[in-house]
Amino acid sequence: MATSTVSPARAPADEPVRIVRKHHALVRIAHWAHVPLLLGLIASGLAIYWAAPVFRHAPTAVNPRGDWLADAGRALASVFGTSGDARNWLYERMSIGPQSLAKALQLHWLLAYLYMVCGAVYLVGLVRGGGWRALLPRRSDPAESLAMLRYYLGVVPHALMRKPWPHPPVAGKYNALQRGAYLAMPVVGLLVVLSGWSMHHPATLPWLERLFVNYDGARVVHFACMVILGGFMVPHVVLAIADGWDTLRSMVTGWSRRVKGASHG
Amino acid sequence: MDEPRRPRSSKRASPGARLAAALRRAAQAAAERPETVEEVPPRRLAARSRRDFLLLGAGALASATLGWWLLPDRTKRAWLPAGHDRLDTLAARVGLTRERRERALDRVLTFDDDVAEALYSKDRRVRTYARPDPRPLRNNYHGRTPGPGYLPGWRLELSGLASGRTERLAIGELLSRFARHDMITRLVCVEGWSHVVAWGGLRFPHLLAAFPPAPGTRWAAMRSEVSLDGRGNPEPYYVSLDLETARHPQALLATHHGGAPLTLAHGAPLRLVAPMKLGLKNIKALTHIRYTEAEPADYWAERGYSSYDGI
Repeated sequence: MATSTVSPARAPADEPVRIVRKHHALVRIAHWAHVPLLLGLIASGLAIYWAAPVFRHAPTAVNPRGDWLADAGRALASVFGTSGDARNWLYERMSIGPQSLAKALQLHWLLAYLYMVCGAVYLVGLVRGGGWRALLPRRSDPAESLAMLRYYLGVVPHALMRKPWPHPPVAGKYNALQRGAYLAMPVVGLLVVLSGWSMHHPATLPWLERLFVNYDGARVVHFACMVILGGFMVPHVVLAIADGWDTLRSMVTGWSRRVKGASHG
Repeated sequence: MDEPRRPRSSKRASPGARLAAALRRAAQAAAERPETVEEVPPRRLAARSRRDFLLLGAGALASATLGWWLLPDRTKRAWLPAGHDRLDTLAARVGLTRERRERALDRVLTFDDDVAEALYSKDRRVRTYARPDPRPLRNNYHGRTPGPGYLPGWRLELSGLASGRTERLAIGELLSRFARHDMITRLVCVEGWSHVVAWGGLRFPHLLAAFPPAPGTRWAAMRSEVSLDGRGNPEPYYVSLDLETARHPQALLATHHGGAPLTLAHGAPLRLVAPMKLGLKNIKALTHIRYTEAEPADYWAERGYSSYDGI
């Protein structure tokens, strides 16, 4: 994954640099704005969730509300320790805290409106920059996905054995796995917004409530979307860093020095 | 000789072939374009990159500052026991004070309430269900549930009427004078739980027709004098209700729940059921309705929740 064969340090100061445009400015702005928005939405959303958990089991003496997240908190607290109520371990760390419903609702509405604006900015950027074309699924995706999975599984063993392990050929901007993941994000983003409105206005938007079967259906979908959007961040950051400086920089500046056919395999 | 025949043959093409051609064109339009390589002078590229990274840094700093400012005080103390005061002082230096935060967040609630009001229509019915949830409805009385002592002397007091009088109505009068309407709707709590309940009672619009509010009034101040706090001391509960909502055919002054008269836990003998509002507006053991021109006080709006609460 080397960058251009011509390193900038050795290139003469006035020789033009060959670059390709990767991401439209609006896509980049929306991409980075999503980070604080998503974190804030999760922190306020979990504090709302605390008031009435949707995933529950039969009440027990130690967990009278039967909240699975309280059980998870107790399990984590037994490993990491806590000074407060172990059942609130997760809520204290991943949300703005238990018993903060009014504050959490205010923050969640503010961030939710900004999130929708951000999503709209992203879509405009995707259309104006033509980036949407690189996200559409294609017929070769299943086979290419398997090749990519095989590649990812083999990267570490081959590096340890110091054996070559070539990257499968990538025809477009993204490989099949990236394409699937990057297309899933706006889809899940749309779903999280729709399920959010469905919970916010089940009476005035009954057709939207019916779309998720009922009120609790929307809650389950909303929670699942949160897990997917939040969970996406972890491999996304790891893989972006593993891919190198050029990839990270391209999401800030919009351009890349990895010109197809020059050095990228 | 081939050329002039082509348009004719395309006109005669079957719908299937035309669809296939349209799909092919769509696929071509959606196909990824090859990258175009640009050549940029290195100085210009470096200057542009510097600008973009500076913008990213400024954005990160701004969101961190605004994020800290927006966090509730309790969260700040929990997350940063040592330094939260110092950071708050720094934020206040640039004008990000606690008072401004509260005002900004209040405006967010007002904006969201305006959106809710724009979505509301008294001509649109709320979803009804074939049967209620089998589980018993939760008693979410904020304080203690009142004892039966108030029931014998209970009256519904109406004021702010066009007649200028104050009416005091016993439950028997309300039951005999107004037709009973039954409906199965969902009660949605601000906490996130909800429950499909079978209600029965008189329609609010019928009460409004029988005892018209004074001209110019836009609100109903709904009050329960018998409400108790957590220690069992009297603590009146009060909500504001816009008359547009009160005029909705599914706005009910409920006397029955699950086919039986309301129990103490659910607001005997009369409560509001407005399924287009959050549960907290659905005041139990209602004792007073006063029609007003200005928006009346609301128990939960005074405690940081929204005041319109349309769902």
